[in-house]
Amino acid sequence: ALLPMANVAMIDYTLEFLTATGVEETFVFCCWKSAEIKEHLQKSKWCRHTSPNTVRFVTSDLYRSLGDVLRDVDAKSLVRSDFILVTGDVVSNFNITKALEEHKLRRKMEKNVSVMTMIFKESSPGHHARCKEDDIVVAMDSATNRVLHYQRTQGLKRFRFPMSLFQNSIENVEVRHDLLDCHISICSPQVAELFTDNFDYQTRDDFVRGLLVNEEVLGNQIHMHVTTEEYGAHICNLLMYEAVCSDIIRRWVYPLTPEMNFSDDKNQSYTHSKHNIYRGVDISLGQGSVLEENVLVGQGTVIGSNCSITNSVIGQNCRIGDKVILEGAFLWDGVHIADNVEICHSVICDEAEVKEKVKLKPRCVLSSQVVVGPGITLAEGTVISLHPPDEEEEDDDQFSDDSGVNKEESKVKLKGYNKKDVGSEGRGYLWKADDKNEEDEEEQRQSLWGPAMHSEEESESDSDLSMGSEEPDSRSASPQLDDIKVFQNEVLGTLQRGEEENISCDNLVLEINSLKYAYNIGLKEMMQVLSKVILEFPLQQLDANLDSQNYFSALLPLLKNWTPLFKNYIKRASDHLNALFAIEEFFLEHDSLCTSIAKVLMTFYQLEILEEDVILNWFSLRDTSDKGKQLRKNQRLQKFIQWLEEAEEESSDGDQD
Amino acid sequence: SGELMDLIRTEGQRMTAAQPSETTVGNMVRRVLKVIREEYGRLHGRSEESDQQESLHKLLTSGGLSEDFSTPYPPLRANVIEAINELLIELEGTTDNIAMQALEHIHSNEVIMTIGYSRTVEAFLKEAARKRKFQVIVAECAPFCQGHEMAVRLSKENIETTVMSDAAIFAVMSRVNKVIVGTKTILANGALIAVSGTHTLALAAKHHSTPLIVCAPMFKLSPQFPNEEDSFHKFVSPQEVLPFTEGEILAKINVHCPVFDYVPPELITLFISNIGGNAPSYIYRLMSELYHPDDYEL
Repeated sequence: ALLPMANVAMIDYTLEFLTATGVEETFVFCCWKSAEIKEHLQKSKWCRHTSPNTVRFVTSDLYRSLGDVLRDVDAKSLVRSDFILVTGDVVSNFNITKALEEHKLRRKMEKNVSVMTMIFKESSPGHHARCKEDDIVVAMDSATNRVLHYQRTQGLKRFRFPMSLFQNSIENVEVRHDLLDCHISICSPQVAELFTDNFDYQTRDDFVRGLLVNEEVLGNQIHMHVTTEEYGAHICNLLMYEAVCSDIIRRWVYPLTPEMNFSDDKNQSYTHSKHNIYRGVDISLGQGSVLEENVLVGQGTVIGSNCSITNSVIGQNCRIGDKVILEGAFLWDGVHIADNVEICHSVICDEAEVKEKVKLKPRCVLSSQVVVGPGITLAEGTVISLHPPDEEEEDDDQFSDDSGVNKEESKVKLKGYNKKDVGSEGRGYLWKADDKNEEDEEEQRQSLWGPAMHSEEESESDSDLSMGSEEPDSRSASPQLDDIKVFQNEVLGTLQRGEEENISCDNLVLEINSLKYAYNIGLKEMMQVLSKVILEFPLQQLDANLDSQNYFSALLPLLKNWTPLFKNYIKRASDHLNALFAIEEFFLEHDSLCTSIAKVLMTFYQLEILEEDVILNWFSLRDTSDKGKQLRKNQRLQKFIQWLEEAEEESSDGDQD
Repeated sequence: SGELMDLIRTEGQRMTAAQPSETTVGNMVRRVLKVIREEYGRLHGRSEESDQQESLHKLLTSGGLSEDFSTPYPPLRANVIEAINELLIELEGTTDNIAMQALEHIHSNEVIMTIGYSRTVEAFLKEAARKRKFQVIVAECAPFCQGHEMAVRLSKENIETTVMSDAAIFAVMSRVNKVIVGTKTILANGALIAVSGTHTLALAAKHHSTPLIVCAPMFKLSPQFPNEEDSFHKFVSPQEVLPFTEGEILAKINVHCPVFDYVPPELITLFISNIGGNAPSYIYRLMSELYHPDDYEL
């Protein structure tokens, strides 16, 4: 957060943005380099007593992620009302009052249902300020601005959306890919509590996904606010750094422009000239040198003759030699550049030195106090730092901590610098990520510069992550048919076990009931499934190609055993009908067993599972399919029905008597 | 009072450095300094006239005059406060003063053109509309389109108003009788720093020999000369010109959105301010009434 963007530390931008929108109290959570951050902020204007925004520090070495910080917030009860959650590297000129009012209104109207409002900025997909790692696809309800689905899109060529998204009662669902995540969120106090409850939420992403998945259970919603006119961006890698720096210089973040000098530092006053050239105080430009466009030159810098500088940021007190070409270069304070150097899209940190005739290809990084020797060309993407590569590197950060180097050098034998890497007078080592973990290495390397905008590399490691996140979505929202199938299998399993282990019917009933609730199956479907399963049971136990006789003899004992089961579920007339339909369906499927339909029905009748009225009813149903009619023409069936009718008459006669 | 002046001067420098295009801040600081000098001078026994250094003789003989401000005078403070109050009253009344002159300049059935939104011009036209009937054409002044607001307000007063785009200024100019504009700053040579689009308007007016009248109160007069091209400019976010949503192309192009225009003094006919009408060539004399030469560079 102390990295200079256009010579002003990033955290200053964040604090300026917060102060400008009227925030009055800010908590800064730091874990790494907290002493330096604290010192910087205390010297700055925000800690003076005239500042409208009071800044408080909370530091701890245990913070490993956003989740930890929020859990700490909850534990210490630092905030009681709605708060704005921002990472320390957000640059924005957003006026948050409107979004805040909407948020408060929503919470008042619906009694704390809306937990968080995320702020997005509209921008088309190719824009250079859209970080590729951070790219998202959002589905939202356009009427209430509620977020329905949120997905990272890095590396994915296709997106999946769960059907439930479109099936519920919301009328207008918009799927948007043109949003840039500003990483500014208005959160309610429940957010901190939710983080404490769910210990594995580490980042804001986890939180959003977790909330959306558990939405029905907990009733929490996330809303969003989209802005078209104001600027907001979050610096997560060096590509973004470059993009946002150039946006600042080209005045997209007005009024936070370099010549405004909002950090009130005497060294930082610039004058703004044509073509976005910002010149600090006391600089000297050699003869023939041209500051072409979009250049920021810090105070006290000396630039030699015949240089050509474009799209660059130069820090304070730099010395640049003659005939230097700087294009998209970001030089921090105190850099020395000798003659005839060409630097292209690179970052050169404090006090580094580049000797003569060096060419730095795009995306190089030279860390602090590194010296790159004369006459060499550094390939694309080289990172040179003073940390020797074999050391166990504790910090994941790409910019090494120089105080650490001195301590470590005394421990380790001083290694010679590799001349091939840094040239004959160079000082520094080629920085490679640890080779231990292949996956991490890819991620880290990508996190330095972010996935390149032009190349078509796919990042496989991250696509695994996204695949994983898709599955819970698809399972929770799968269509009803799948559930029934699963249920059916489960019931079959239960019955099988029941038969093998002679489990009593009560237990079976219990099991089937619980399965019914687990899979959310309705009674009707359950009946159908149950009948189907039982009728299919003998088929599965024995050979599929069974003729009727054997089938029936196999089925009979089963039916006898499981009579209580049936009786439990078949209680009302509609249940009977459902069972009959299921039986019909089954026999339609298995034509070969048609002959035994009468016997089956007979059995059912005798076991008093099905009543005659219903059977007659079913038989005389007019609107059955052709196949159904054919079934009914079955001889045996007709005989059975006749017998039934006679039996009925007999019993009714018997009653009358 | 020397200390007071130093204090005011440092504060003034800080404020003008913060936003160089807001010259009014610096102007007021200079006025206050002048007030202090005057009051001090009066108490010190000098007459007002001699301070003006009008005659050539005085200019030659009184070279190297540096007043010693260190003698304290108890009534100085009260006098200064009183003078500042007078200044405040004058500032509040500027718009009305200007509006009062409206009837002399606007005649019936005239077509008047203006650009953007200026409160002074609005008051000017409203005052004239009470007695005369005329038409107004407003150039909308992209990209901020403040002309729209101006047109709405004028039409509320039942003035016949037409809004048109900046591109049509030259085309319509042949039908216009007078051009009346407001400005942001008046420079020492009589030039203007006004909203962008005013230069176009002034050139078109000159071509058709239409008089260009500038309505501006005196506090906008700044003793700076336009030597450094960059001092007064203000560029804002390019959002208005080419919005952020345009996407990829934004990385490859440079978009600028200037707010102000420079209008050279040759194109202006008349300045109307709270002290009356003046030609541009006379502006430099007005400066000596308002500000002390030592204060020109704050």
